[in-house]
Order: sequence, then C-alpha cells, then structure tokens
Amino acid sequence: MDHEAAESETLPEDNDKSSSPTILNKQHSYTSDAASSDLEGSSGLSRDQGEEEDDSYHSASEESDSSEDEVAPRNTVGDVPLEWYKEEEHIGYDISGKKIKKHARKDKIDSFLAGVDDSRNWRKIFDEYNDEEVELTKEETKLIRRLLKGKTPHAEVDPYAPYVDWFDWEDKGHPLSNAPEPKRRFIPSKWEHRKVVQYIRAIRKGWIKFDKPEEEPRYYLLWGDDSTSAESKRQGLKYIPAPKPKLAGHEESYNPPVEYIPTQEEVNSYQLIYEEDRPKFIPRRYESLRSVPAYENALKEGFDRCLDLYLCPRTMKKRINIDPESLKPRLPSRKDLKPYPSICYLEYKGHAGPVKSISVAISGQWLASGSADGTVRLWEVENARCLKVWEIGEPIKCVAWNPLPELPILAVSAGHDVLLLDTELGDEEEQHRVKELLRADSSTMDDSGIVSWIPHEKYAGIWLKHSKVVTTVDWHRKGDYFTTSRSVLLHQLSKKQTHNPFKKLRGLAVSAIFHPTRSIFFISTKNHVRVYDLLKSKLISKLETGLHEVSSIAIHPGGNNLLVGSKDGKICWFDMDLSSRPYKTLKYVILLEHLVDKNVCRTHPKDITNVAFHRSYPLFASSSEDCTAYVFHGMVYSDLNQNPLIVPLEILRGHASSSSGGVLDSKFHPRQPWLFTAGADSVIKLYCH
Amino acid sequence: MDSSNTNGSGQVHIRFLTKLQPPFKVPPTSIAVPANLTRMGLSEIVNLLLKNINPDLHSTPFDFLIDGELIRMPIEQFLHIKGISVEKVLEIEYIRAVAPQKQGDSSLHDDWVSAVDGTDKRFVLTGCYDNLARIWKHGSLCTHILQGHNGAVTAVKLIDNKGNSTGDEIFIATGAKDKTLKLWMVKFDAAEYAHYPVKMSAFKSLKGHASSVQCISANNFGDMLCSGSWDSSIKLWRVGSKGDGDSVPVKRRRLIAEEEESHEGESIAEFVGHTQCVSSIIWPDSQTIYSASWDHSIRSWDVQSGKAVWNMVCGKALNCLDIGGEGSALVAAGGSDHVLRVWDPRKPGTLAPTFQFSSHSSWISACKWHSRSTFHLLSASYDGKVMLWDLRTAWPLAKIDSHDDKVLCADWWKDDSLISGGADSKLFISSGISIS
Repeated sequence: MDHEAAESETLPEDNDKSSSPTILNKQHSYTSDAASSDLEGSSGLSRDQGEEEDDSYHSASEESDSSEDEVAPRNTVGDVPLEWYKEEEHIGYDISGKKIKKHARKDKIDSFLAGVDDSRNWRKIFDEYNDEEVELTKEETKLIRRLLKGKTPHAEVDPYAPYVDWFDWEDKGHPLSNAPEPKRRFIPSKWEHRKVVQYIRAIRKGWIKFDKPEEEPRYYLLWGDDSTSAESKRQGLKYIPAPKPKLAGHEESYNPPVEYIPTQEEVNSYQLIYEEDRPKFIPRRYESLRSVPAYENALKEGFDRCLDLYLCPRTMKKRINIDPESLKPRLPSRKDLKPYPSICYLEYKGHAGPVKSISVAISGQWLASGSADGTVRLWEVENARCLKVWEIGEPIKCVAWNPLPELPILAVSAGHDVLLLDTELGDEEEQHRVKELLRADSSTMDDSGIVSWIPHEKYAGIWLKHSKVVTTVDWHRKGDYFTTSRSVLLHQLSKKQTHNPFKKLRGLAVSAIFHPTRSIFFISTKNHVRVYDLLKSKLISKLETGLHEVSSIAIHPGGNNLLVGSKDGKICWFDMDLSSRPYKTLKYVILLEHLVDKNVCRTHPKDITNVAFHRSYPLFASSSEDCTAYVFHGMVYSDLNQNPLIVPLEILRGHASSSSGGVLDSKFHPRQPWLFTAGADSVIKLYCH
Repeated sequence: MDSSNTNGSGQVHIRFLTKLQPPFKVPPTSIAVPANLTRMGLSEIVNLLLKNINPDLHSTPFDFLIDGELIRMPIEQFLHIKGISVEKVLEIEYIRAVAPQKQGDSSLHDDWVSAVDGTDKRFVLTGCYDNLARIWKHGSLCTHILQGHNGAVTAVKLIDNKGNSTGDEIFIATGAKDKTLKLWMVKFDAAEYAHYPVKMSAFKSLKGHASSVQCISANNFGDMLCSGSWDSSIKLWRVGSKGDGDSVPVKRRRLIAEEEESHEGESIAEFVGHTQCVSSIIWPDSQTIYSASWDHSIRSWDVQSGKAVWNMVCGKALNCLDIGGEGSALVAAGGSDHVLRVWDPRKPGTLAPTFQFSSHSSWISACKWHSRSTFHLLSASYDGKVMLWDLRTAWPLAKIDSHDDKVLCADWWKDDSLISGGADSKLFISSGISIS
C-alpha cells in the first residue's frame, strides 16, 4: 500500500506540473488576444479536466490490476540489471515517464529490530525492482508452500479427473484417422507414366486421330441466301455478296401464259424504244421444251455478267442520312417573341432631304431628326406633329438627345460643328437649368485649340467649332459628357471643356460610344473596335470584327454585348464575356424559315447604315441602304452559361429607294416595342407591334 | 315581287317586325323574297310596302336584324353562316339605318384640331395646336376664343357645373402641352355680341403636372376635374367658380395679357400607378375614374382611396378610352394599332376583348360611346376616317372619309351628329344620324 501512497503523493505534484503551463498559457493568451483568450482558456480548462480524468483512469486501472494475480510493475525500465541504477537516485520510470525515487534504505539493524517487533515480518519481501516492500497475503503464502511441495498451486484443481472423450465414435462413416498419408501419394505413378508414353508414341505415329474431317456438302442451294452461307461467315462483315442475275420467270418459260406473249404491234413498237430500254427477251410459245432453240445470247450474257461482277466495285460506302431540317438551329417561333415592330402606322413628313439621323427622347414623347437639307426637326411621337425646325445650314450628320429627362438638350453634328440646342421642352425650373448650362462665354476656348465653345447666333445653344469633320455624337449616361468622332473627343457640358485623350488612335474612328453602365468607352475604326477604360485610361481589349468596313456600332443596355454593322452587309454580335471575336455574324445568307418561303433569307445585300438595341425589350434592328430595316430578337440571359439567342423577326420595308441611300438610321422607342426608321426618301416611319 | 318569282335562285319566307311607330310599320304578313337580297333590297321592299299604305312617305333607309345581328351580306349567305333553317318563316326586325345623312360644315382652324367636345347642344368646343380653344356656336360660328395657353391645347372639357348646363355661365377646362390646365368661364348667350369672336382668358390656371397634359375629365357634379399627363400621373383638381378664389390658396397673382387676375390652383390628389403617358381618362360616376395609358394598361381608380381597383393589360399603347354601352359598363379603347376593342370588365377571368372592330388602317385616336344608345360608338383614326359602329355587326355602319389627314379627335354632338377634328385643321360635322 506504499505504492498507493506513493501514487497519491505524486499525484498533486503531477497536477501542479501539468496545470502550471496551462496557467502560463492562459496568462499569455490574455495578454495576447482578448478574442481568442476565451477559446484558449476553454481549451486549457478542458485539457486540465482531461488530465484529471487521465489520472483517475490510471488509478482505477491499477486498482483493477491489483485485484488480479499479476500486478503490473510500477517500474517500466524492463528486464535490465538493477546495478545500472545503483548510483542513481531513482530506480526507473513509472508509466507516465517520471522518475521513481529510491526510498531511504533502512539499516539492517533497524530492519531487524522492526522485524523482531513485527510478527508478520517474515511475510514481507523487498521488491528491488520496484523498490518497495511487498507483504504476502495468507493465500499467497499458501500458494508458495504448495509449489514448494510440488503440488498444483491451487488446492481445488483435481489432476486426476476421469477422461471424457468429446468425440462420438459410434456409427460414423469415415472415422477420423490419425494414420499418416501413404508415400505413394507423393510419388508419380509408374503405370501412368507408361500409359502416357504409349499415347505419345501413338499420336506421333498417327495411330490416334483426334477429329474426323467434316464431310463437304456435295450440293448447295444455288439461289440461296448468301448471307447465311459459310463463305459469308468466313469473310466477316466486309463481305458483300455479288448481285444476283435476274431469275427466270414465267415469261422465260417455253410455254408462257398468254398474257406474257406480246402481240405483233407491241413487238413492232419495241423498235421505237431506245435500244438500251428495249426488252432483251421476247417471250414465245413452243409446243414442247424440245423445240426450244438454243439461246443465241447465252454466251454474250454470260460474258456481260462476268464483266459486271468484275468491273463493279463492291465496297461498303458510308452514307449518312441526316434530315436537313435537324441541322437548322431550333429557333423559337416568331409568335412567341412578340411584341416586335412590324407594321408602319405613322410617317413623319416634312424634311426636304434624306433624313440622316434620328433620336428619341428618353421620355418617348419627342423625336428629333436631322436631315441633309440642313434642318433639325422636333416631332411629337404620338401624332407625327413637327413642333420645331432649326435651320442649321449644313447637312446634319447626327442628332442625339441628352439621356437625362430633365435636360432636354439636343446635340447635333453638322459639318465641322457640334451644336447643343435647347429644345425648350422642360418646365420652368428645367428651362432655367438648361439655360444656365448652355450659357457659354465667347471667350471659353480650349487650351489645345481643337474646339471652341461659342454661343450660337441664331438659336439658344452652344456651338462647338471643331477643326475636323464631326460625324457622330454620343452622350454619356449621366448627361454631362458627350463624345464626338471622327477625331474622338470628350466634351464636358458643365465645365465646357474638351479633352482629347485618344491622340494616338490608329486609324480613323468611325464611331465612338459610351458603355451604358460602366466607365468604358468604345471606339470603332474600320476593322476593329477598341474598348477603353476611362478611369484607368487604358485599352482593355480590341475586338476583331473581321469585317470589311465598320459603319456603326451599338451597345446592349446590359453592357456586355456589342453589335457592329458593316458596309458589306454583315452584322457582328460580340459577346464580350466570350471572346474578342464575334459571337455571331449575320451574313449575306442566313437560314430563316419563317420569313421567306424558300428558307433562305438574305441580310442586307448593301451597306448597313445603322444598328440599334432596344433599351428594355430583347430586340435589335439594323437598317440598310437597300431600303429595309431588319428586326431581330436578341435575348441576353443573365445566366452566364447561356449564350445570347438571336432570332430574325421581321423585314420592314416601305421606304422608297433613293439615290442617296435607303434607310439611313433606325432607333427604337425607349419604352414601346416600336422602331423609327429614317429614310433617304426624307420620311421617318414608325413601325409598331 | 314578280321579279323575285322569275329569279329562281331560291326564296326565303320572311316576316318584317319592327318597334318603330305606325308610319313605319308594315303589315306582319309573311312574304317570299329572293334569298340573295342584301340590306339594300330589303330596305327597298320595306319602303315599297310602306308606300302601299301611305303613298306620301319618303323612302328611308332601314337596317335589318336577324337574331339580334345586323345583316351585312345576302340573306342566303347570312343564314348559311349562322346555320339558320331556310324552311321556316324568317322574322326580320328592321330599324332605321344609322348613318349620317349630311356631310360637310368644315370649320377651318389655324392649326391641327386636337380636341373636341360636344357635350353641350348649343355649341362645339375645340382645342387647337395654335394654343387656342374655340367655341363654335351651332358648330359653324366661332363665338369665343379661349386664349392663354403657351402650348398646343390637347384636351378640352365642358364642366357640367352643378347640372345647370342650361344656364348662361358655362365652365370649361382645357389642358395643354404647356403642362397646365386652365379653367374658363364663358357667359354664353348673355348678350349677342356685335362682333364675334370674343377673346376670353382663363380665370384659373392649374399647375402641377411635370409634362404635357394629355386628357381631362370632370365628374358628374362638375366640382372636380381629373387629368392625365405625360408624366404618367393622374391628378385631381377642384373646380372653383370664378368668385370663390378663397377656397383655393392663392399662391401668386400675376398679370397676363388680358390684365385679368388669374388664380393658380394645385391638385388635391394624385394617382400614381401608370408607368407611361396617361393618354385618356374618363370619370363616368362619382366613385371611379378609368384611365388608359401608353404602358398598355387600363386601370380603374377608386376616387376616395386613390388606389387602382382594376388593372387590365392589353398589350398595346392606348390612345383613347370610353365607358358606355350596356349598363354603362363596357370599356372601349383604341391605341397603337388599327383595332378598336371593347371589353366587358364584368366578365371575370378573361382579358380577351368582347368585340374587336378592325376596319381602320392606322392608330385609333378617339372612341366615344353614344350617350343613349347601348350599341353605337364612333371611332376616329389616323387613317383619316371616322367610323360609326354598331355592336351587333363587325362592319362599320358608316365611314366618314372627309378628313384629308389624321383625325385626332371625335365626339358625338346633339345625339345625332359626329364632330371630328384632324390634322388637316378642319372640324367636320356629320349630322342626321337617327339613333332611336
């Protein structure tokens, strides 16, 4: 029980040792991080608890061990000579690796005296290995005595109990035998060897034949099906049987039925038939088979037959039968894609020259148009009323409304100039703001000298004099900036400044537009569309159109899809998420079953003048010099995995052809599925659904 | 009838019935007529029969109904389509044909005529793109010019003030593209002015719309106005008479051309819900307002709560709307296509129009129900035609083709005339329509 005591003595010490680092830990964690301290502390706590549990488990296991005969040795050094520990203070290590200290050794005299006093001293044995005294119990001493006498250690064991045979021997078929395997089972049989040698000799000398050769059939079915014959099987799948000659029928009979025998007229009429089509054999009737003459063509026909078999290559040809309908893309029906513009209801008449450009105000109430006759007109959309006419003097190239509904300003490009016109449509406050914005001092001159902002003499507005020809105008979505091309310039309305950030642009800019949502800028030159980031002022990507000459571009209101129209009658749809190459090119011929009966529809054979997207409906349109405008369904999905769906919907005709082109511009109504087209016949048409 | 006997193409036995009064009543005996007769032939027969009774009677055109449907083709064909047996004696009801007897009376304006109102029997009210509204006495003589708008007048409305429309004072509301509504008081017949026209100015100007006013309607009592505008809102206004300016807070006083004080009024309520231009508005009874909009919807609003009670989407931008017909419940509307549609909102669960009239070839600009008849309505279109419709047939009763350009507005006048104004700056009156 010293052992137990020692255990209990060591326990608190152990606890101290184990707990002290965790406390340190805790302190450390408190100082380091307040947030993690809780976690840390809780983990420390749990570790403490774990060790306590461990200790209790140890003691419990030792108790359970002591209940058995064999007590697990406290020392773990193993079977080593104890002299090794003679000099040490400890005698070994316990199970947790701690040193087991040596107890102070009693004097012989002291032990002797203690033994004299203690009547049970003779039972005590000193266990050197574990360095403790063990007192033998009464049972143990009894056991030792019995062992000394050479008896079984336990008295209750009967060494001479009667033998009970566990195997039931009676009526068993094959008694288990302990007899060893006979030797003959391990050595090869001589008799068998002799027999094998006999066979080998017989086979070598041909006395033994394994299988008889199969008897060839003497007759075979001449007209039988070749596919089942042995020959076809041998050659495998590649075998193609030779075509059979025509079998003899009733008409070849010596006595054919009457209906097979041609009349004399029929025979004469054969002469009129082309020689190749003429029947080779004319049935005739004979009294008996004996009277049938020899067939004069027999040799020739046999030879022809041989030639046919020889000259006709019999090879498998792979032929694919594909329904051409299945190759067509599965497009939804036009009826399901309504509404889209289809019928022309309103015409806006008044211009005297080709209408070059149109623009619809964001409210959808007003339409502005610029014409080659040098006038800009303002129309009421609902009843085609011309409200205002501005006489600019030079042919108008482009008109564009400010996208802000509260700033009814019209940007007009004509010749070398850009005009900002006040349309006087807003209410008083808006009018006031517009007037403020459009007030320009004649002194405001850009530093670079490219553009001068001058108040217009005739109309309320600003006159921007450029040094080069201006073709297109496009507003930024916030209505403050606008851009002009050919030479791509950025103008700021509020500060009346002009920037020229694209000085080093290669090629002539055809058109420049702003991204509808982000600060991205698109410049199209003849063959490429360059995409710039305005904030970082760098080129993001360059789209390869593969077109001959780009005429116009339009950006989807979602901002990820770009439409490019070209002067060779092609439209490219760019999905900028996909690549810098066109996602789809609508070319000269596209399949389109529901527009034209012949299943073939041509896109514009002539120049495409303009492409446009609808702001809210999934529609886009292109106008061309062949006096038509095409309306397409262009659905862009928010799911990135789904590519845009493009379905041609309608060809809008109606503009009269003119020497100066067909349809020059097309714009969608911002809120209705309507399309405005501006024609070279100086009429603007409104197509409604 | 001798000719019909020789004509062997088949005969039908018919009997004429009518609800007309004695001079137009024929004996209810069954007669045999050729089966290929059209309305014209039947009308001739009836006139012959009537002349047999009363030789002095002038021949009048009649229209014929079989099973409540007007005949617009040979009887044979009609019976074949309808699957009616020829064996029986066919009962044909006849009514007087509804068609304008007289054309003409074009009153020339200076600019497009954008709005007409024929509520009052004594005069026609027109709005014009020259920023003026005019009163035409008897439809031909311009007696008053209402001057004051700065934009084209888009809507005119006679306010039936407290039911005393027979009185001298009449109230008129106009709406224009200058985003304002103006109220006018005209003393009609007060004195015969020596020199017409008299120029008038508004006594009140109602401001609040952010964009052009498109349509105006007044309630039955004449004390409230509602207006629809391009700013997609509907606003309610209170109509005060000229004297009671104190009921509406006077914000500013300023002099206008006629150096007459003009009050400004503000709206008392605004109905928001439409997303695009409110193009037409009707206030048929005191509790509900119907409106049609370019956002393809027709809505009815509860005046008290200001909420949309009923909302129907029809797929086209709408230009005009009227309530009328049977039980004053049918909704007729026309818009950005050539079809005039009539819905019955009492039919649940369907958006399909009950009637569709598609003889026009361009946008419908106006439609109006006849005030008394439950069958008749008119429509005007940008194709320059005004058409008269009867619900009982899909063909127009009459096509008035007098306009050279777009017809922008049309209305009934005096229950027997059609007035229409158009982009040819003319006001046409087609009279002599006898609707019983």
